[in-house]
Amino acid sequence: MNAGKLARLSVSILVFVGVWWMTSGTFFEAAIVPSPVSVAEKLAEMIWNTELFAHLGASLGRIVLGYALGCVIGITVGVATGAIRLARDLIEPPLEFCRNIPPVALIPLVVSIFGIGEIGKYFIISYAAGIAVLFNTAAGVASTPQIRVRAALCLGARKQDVFMRIVLPSAWPHILTGLRIALGFSFMGVVAAEMLAADQGIGFLIMQSTNIIAPAEMFVGFLMLGTFGLITDQLFRMTIHRLMRRYMIPLA
Amino acid sequence: MSWRVLRLEGVGKDFTRADGGVAQVLRDVTLTVERGAFFTLLGPSGCGKSTLLNIVAGFEEATTGGVSLDDNPVTAPGTDRTVIFQDVSNALFPWMNARENVEFGPKMARLGAQVRNERADKYLRLVGLDADSGKFPFELSGGMKQRIQIARALANDPDILLMDEPFAALDAITKKHLQIEFRKIWDETGKTIFYITHDIFEALLLSTHLAVMTAGPEAGIKEVFQLDLQEPRSPSNPDFAAMYSRVESLIDEEVQRMRAR
Repeated sequence: MNAGKLARLSVSILVFVGVWWMTSGTFFEAAIVPSPVSVAEKLAEMIWNTELFAHLGASLGRIVLGYALGCVIGITVGVATGAIRLARDLIEPPLEFCRNIPPVALIPLVVSIFGIGEIGKYFIISYAAGIAVLFNTAAGVASTPQIRVRAALCLGARKQDVFMRIVLPSAWPHILTGLRIALGFSFMGVVAAEMLAADQGIGFLIMQSTNIIAPAEMFVGFLMLGTFGLITDQLFRMTIHRLMRRYMIPLA
Repeated sequence: MSWRVLRLEGVGKDFTRADGGVAQVLRDVTLTVERGAFFTLLGPSGCGKSTLLNIVAGFEEATTGGVSLDDNPVTAPGTDRTVIFQDVSNALFPWMNARENVEFGPKMARLGAQVRNERADKYLRLVGLDADSGKFPFELSGGMKQRIQIARALANDPDILLMDEPFAALDAITKKHLQIEFRKIWDETGKTIFYITHDIFEALLLSTHLAVMTAGPEAGIKEVFQLDLQEPRSPSNPDFAAMYSRVESLIDEEVQRMRAR
C-alpha cells in the first residue's frame, strides 16, 4: 500500500469514528448510540472476563460448519444443474422461487421444525450460503465457451477429461465469486438465526443488549461482525490469489 | 491411420429457424480431398462454410449425406482431425501457459512427461515461440496465440488440420507473415489441410486445391480448381493474377445472385 492510499484510508476511518463520536450524546442519546470510548471499554471488559470469546466462538463455529455444508451442497447441485439439462429443468424452477425467500424469513419455520438447537442454525446458514454458491456455480458451468470444449475434443479429451480439465476450470471464477458472496451471507445468516433462538453468539449478544439496556454490548457485537467479516473476506481473497490465480485470469 | 481420400458425399444440413421453419443451409455438397492436399473452401460469408467444417470435424451431424475417410464414416470428433479456430482467445485454455496448451493433446494421449516435453519443444520452435513457452494466452498477441494454437494442433499429430478462417481476425501485417510461415509448415509437415476462408488472395497464396461455394441458403459447390500456380506464388505473377480475377468474378456472381433474391 502506498503512502497516498494509506493516508486516504486513515482519513476515511478517522472521519467515520469522528462522526460517530460527535453524534453520540448529541444527535443520538448516549443510551442508544454509546460513544466509541464506552464501546472500547466494554470490549476490553468482555475480553477480560472472556464473555466475548464464548459469543465469538459460538458464532464462528456455526458459520464454519454451516458455510462448509452450504458450499458442498451448492457446488454439487450447481454443477449438476449447470451441466445436465434434465437436472436443470427439474431443479431450477423451485430454486428460482426459493432464492427470493431470504433466510431470515425461514427462521420461524426452522424453529418449529428443528427447535432452537444448533441444527436449525446450520440449516439457515447453509441455505444462505448454498443458494449463492449454487447459482454462481451453475452459471459458471453453463457458460463454458463451446469452442473450448470442441478444441479439447479434437485433442483427444474424453468426456470426463472435458469436465475435469475444461468445464470445471472455466467455471472456477464464477464458483469462487459464489463462495465469496456466500461467506458474507453466512455472517448475515448466523446473526439472524441467533437473534431468534440462542443463548450464545454475536446475534444473541446484540438482541439481548436491548433487553438488558446495554447499548455498548450491542456495538461490541457490530464491531465483531464488521471486523471478522473483513478478516475472513481478506483471507479468502489472499487464498484465492495464491492458489487459484491462473483460473482468475479471464476476469483480470 | 492410413487413408487416401477424405470424401464429402451429398452433404446437406438443415437448421430449425427461430420461427419454427426449416432453413436448408447446405445442399448436396460433394468433394474429394486427397491426402496431403491443401484444400481450400472459398465462399461469401454466411454461405455455410463453417457448418461444413463442423460436420467434417464431427461437431455437427449432416442432415443428409456424410463424410468419410476412405470407407470409414466420420461421425464424431477424433484425434485424426484437429480444428484451428478463428476465435483463438476461446480456443486456447486461458489457465494454461503456452507449453501446457501445446502439451494438452499428448497428455490426453497418456504420453509420458519426456515425450510431451520433446513434442512441445519441437512445435513451439517450429512456430517460433520457444522463448515464450511460459507465457499465458492473455500475455500474447493475437498472432502469437494463433501460432500456439497451430503448435498445439501439430503436437497432437493429426492427419488433417481443419482451419476455420484462422487468420481472418489478425491485422494485415501479422496475417501476411503467418500465411507465408504456415505454407512452410505445411511443406515441412505434409499434413492434409482443409481450409476455410472468404479471402481470395489467401486462398490462391496457400492452396493446392480450391473449391468455390455458391451463396446460401442451400449453398453448394460452384466450381473446384486445382492450383498449379508458378512458385513462389505472388500476386504479380500472371497466372496468379488471372486466377484471381476468375475466382473473383465467380464470387461476384454469387453475391449478385444473393442480393437479387
